Amino acid sequence: MSNDTQPPVNLFAAQQDVLRERLLFLLATLHPVLRADVVRALEEEGKLLAKPRADAVAVRPDGSWALLTMLVAQHIDPDIDLLCVSSVAIAIECFVCALDLLDDVEDEDQTPSIQVLGVARALNVATALMMLAQQAISSLSQQAVPPGRILSLLDTLQASALNAAAGQHRDLLAEKRSAQELTLEECIEIAASKAGALMRLACRLGALCAEADDVMSEHFSELGELLGIAHQLDNDAHDLYYLLQSETSAVPPTKAENITRSIKTDLVRQKKTLPVVLAARVNSSLQKATAPVDKEEHLRALHEGIITTWGICLLYRERAGDRLRMIEDQRSLAPALRFLLDL
Amino acid sequence: MEERQIQEFVHRVSNDEALRKEFASDPEGVIMREGFSPRVTQVVMRLLPHLSLGHSLRFSPARWWL
Repeated sequence: MSNDTQPPVNLFAAQQDVLRERLLFLLATLHPVLRADVVRALEEEGKLLAKPRADAVAVRPDGSWALLTMLVAQHIDPDIDLLCVSSVAIAIECFVCALDLLDDVEDEDQTPSIQVLGVARALNVATALMMLAQQAISSLSQQAVPPGRILSLLDTLQASALNAAAGQHRDLLAEKRSAQELTLEECIEIAASKAGALMRLACRLGALCAEADDVMSEHFSELGELLGIAHQLDNDAHDLYYLLQSETSAVPPTKAENITRSIKTDLVRQKKTLPVVLAARVNSSLQKATAPVDKEEHLRALHEGIITTWGICLLYRERAGDRLRMIEDQRSLAPALRFLLDL
Repeated sequence: MEERQIQEFVHRVSNDEALRKEFASDPEGVIMREGFSPRVTQVVMRLLPHLSLGHSLRFSPARWWL
């Protein structure tokens, strides 16, 4: 599974400072009551404004979406203007935060932000964050960035938003279908249009911002999409794995796992994640061959679904590694970007 | 399609004890017979400990992006 070693020092401190400064500058334009709630959402664990926690298990740096865009841009153009790249990077941070809030509302997840804001305010904050994402990119006009490039960045953001919305819609509709109806290919398509599209966007915006050529932009876009799919499948495999562990083992999950996982309701809502769909197909074939499937066989099918999903996750990581090698044919990645990509 | 290859191989190893034992004792031989690409070979070698342990899983925590 993924390398879980942590860097000895914060490799991202300088970039995080620049990004936070730019984000707070952008937020200063908001009405104070709205700003307070937007900041609350951006203080969620892993977000750019998250407060340092003594007991935190730092699985990823705060503001990792914005960092990804920024570090991709700096890989392509190490001398890129920080104000320009931070504006674009802030756009992805706001955009992903908005989608996360919408996702939490749609999935009825009781995350800390939803508990504090409630559904109505959370939806309004999501709307504001979407607008802020666009405003962050539009603000490039004050930095003498050519209008054509600004339009291209906005177009990329909007196309990705529509793609992610379509993916989310398919995912919501899939909840109403039986797991046996869905296929491996459909599950991967949904993962590609959700998580894949977001990481693709983060990488592509960085490449476009740094004026990468078409080939390099596409390499980074593909790298992002493949990694996004891999991370989604990894999440799906782990969610089901921990659920089974909690139901079949006397050993409770660690505190950190509890914090991260206990509020996830995907499985309770019978989301048709890939391991669930694969297990349903195994169960279906067992049912055809024998009497009704007993609990032991059902658990074995779920375990098989988890291993297969993890294997396909590894396959996407291998493919991402291939793209990374193409990128590194021109220049090696900086340690911070390599660590962030987790490859 | 590599995804299908992995799905089909995991299914067979999970449900065929003889293949599971052979894979545990001679993974290179099984992989050569299956004709896997280098990429799929990398994947199934990572799955080997999980598959050869039957259905016992040992995941280490991943870094979560999503």
